[in-house]
Amino acid sequence: MSPTVIKVENISKCFGKVRAVHELSFEVHAGSCFGFLGPNGAGKTTMLKMLYGKCTRDKNSDGLIDVFGYDPAREELAIKYLSGVVPQENNLDEELNVIGNLMVYSRFYALDRVSARSRIDYLLGFMDLSDKLTAKIKELSGGMQRRLVIARALMNNPQLLILDEPTTGLDPQVRHLIWDKLRQLKKQGTTILLTTHYMEEAFALCDMVLIMNKGQAVMRGSPSELLERKVEKYVLELTGSHSLESIADGSVLNAVRVDRTQETLRLYSDDADRLKRLAGQIQGAHYYLRQANLEDVFLKATGRQLNERQ
Amino acid sequence: MKDSKPCLYPPLASRLYSVWFRHMRVYTRHIFSNGLPPFLEPLLFLAGIGLGLGKYITQSMEGLTYIEFLGTGLLVTTAMFTASFECTFGTFIRLEFEKVYDGMLAAPLTANNLIIGEIIWAGTKGLFFSFAVLCILTVFGIVSLPRSLLAPCVGLLTGLMFSTLALLITSFVRTINHFNFYFTGIISPMFFFSGVVFPVSNLPGFIRPVAEILPLTHSVRLVRAVCTGLYPPRLLLDVLYIVAFIFIVGFFAVRRLKKRLVF
Repeated sequence: MSPTVIKVENISKCFGKVRAVHELSFEVHAGSCFGFLGPNGAGKTTMLKMLYGKCTRDKNSDGLIDVFGYDPAREELAIKYLSGVVPQENNLDEELNVIGNLMVYSRFYALDRVSARSRIDYLLGFMDLSDKLTAKIKELSGGMQRRLVIARALMNNPQLLILDEPTTGLDPQVRHLIWDKLRQLKKQGTTILLTTHYMEEAFALCDMVLIMNKGQAVMRGSPSELLERKVEKYVLELTGSHSLESIADGSVLNAVRVDRTQETLRLYSDDADRLKRLAGQIQGAHYYLRQANLEDVFLKATGRQLNERQ
Repeated sequence: MKDSKPCLYPPLASRLYSVWFRHMRVYTRHIFSNGLPPFLEPLLFLAGIGLGLGKYITQSMEGLTYIEFLGTGLLVTTAMFTASFECTFGTFIRLEFEKVYDGMLAAPLTANNLIIGEIIWAGTKGLFFSFAVLCILTVFGIVSLPRSLLAPCVGLLTGLMFSTLALLITSFVRTINHFNFYFTGIISPMFFFSGVVFPVSNLPGFIRPVAEILPLTHSVRLVRAVCTGLYPPRLLLDVLYIVAFIFIVGFFAVRRLKKRLVF
């Protein structure tokens, strides 16, 4: 097993009366990809920010944060020097062009002009932005801006890359390109920490997933483990309004988990045949039988109701 | 778990320089529109007020002709205005709208580095704006070189002073329109009652102590001393005031504004 590079124990954070993070603990191994899943307001971003000192943790908790052996409360500079951060919002400097943004950023790491320039050329090539060297930030599409922010985060060849919703709002092409790049970085030994709402993203990238809700960890494990252990194998989705009463043999329902929203009924079971039989019994329904995915795990873990923070 | 090698993040001076460098880069990107007005403004001022109004003011002020009196004052008011704008509207926009600081704080910089870098940059702008005024005053023969060459240094000190005050104000401000109160209520009165347009000694006796509290009064005194080459001993008090102001107000500005950056 590769060594632990991030260790978080019992960390809490309150903003006024809102408990953003509550007694959270986790460990991340070197060279792995660790993902936080959770609805908006679950505390994912706050947790990431506490790792690099952008947020302070609550002092009264007996908690511990250790990133590469450094505590962000005292040694944020060392952590920041070893890490790259891709924040949720693209906070590029709109007053500077692409090269200007990266040159200014290289100064923060005290890179000299020549090595900064060659690093920038490499990074723009890596993120497929070489032809945008002198473009203004406003001329870039959302996907390009996102890639540029990632390139910026890679400036100092970080050992740890922290990404807050790296692909939210991007088209599939850009998303897949970013996934490919993150996989490449992981192969090169970069530890990756990310938050996402997208189950497929977690599935595509993460070795370990932690599902958060209301500041607390509700489930954790590798994506396949979560699928295997935490949710039934198959789902029967019925759309339109149906009543379960129309099912003649009520006993088949005993072994299925029912999840109902206004327009959709989802029946979960490990037994596909049972679900098929059920589908046959329901009159005039549009149904869709599929394998359960991480989204089902997610909804099971965090509940279907919107909470006040979303 | 700890890395065996020590972590070589950049030293303090390099971090402050990198913040300064960012501001300098942004400023010089539009060198024409940013760099020309500091030269034009004193020109307009001297033409409009100095030549027009000055004709009617024949009395000498503190031993200077009116245009000399006003001109030397402009050396520091320009620094006051630029530093005040930079660290109110400028800082607020970077903080709240552009999120520039969030990007910078992901790099190896602390919030303190960022704010102090901001102050140093505002001081630099004060130096440059003061220098621009000096060029115009020299061209018109209002001040004499080389002794006036020290005037931009007073501009630097003035810029530092007003940036700390502006940042302190910014730390309280939640919507950008509140800055109007600061400019109308504090900066503008300072322009008129700190001995720039008329000597403080002409103020009624009971207001004079108030003028002594205003930071600009001390900048004006210092810059006139530099331009005339006359250094009365009590000038030491003005220097002391300025240095103390920068450190004390700067301390509170950093402490308060930090809470807007890291929370």
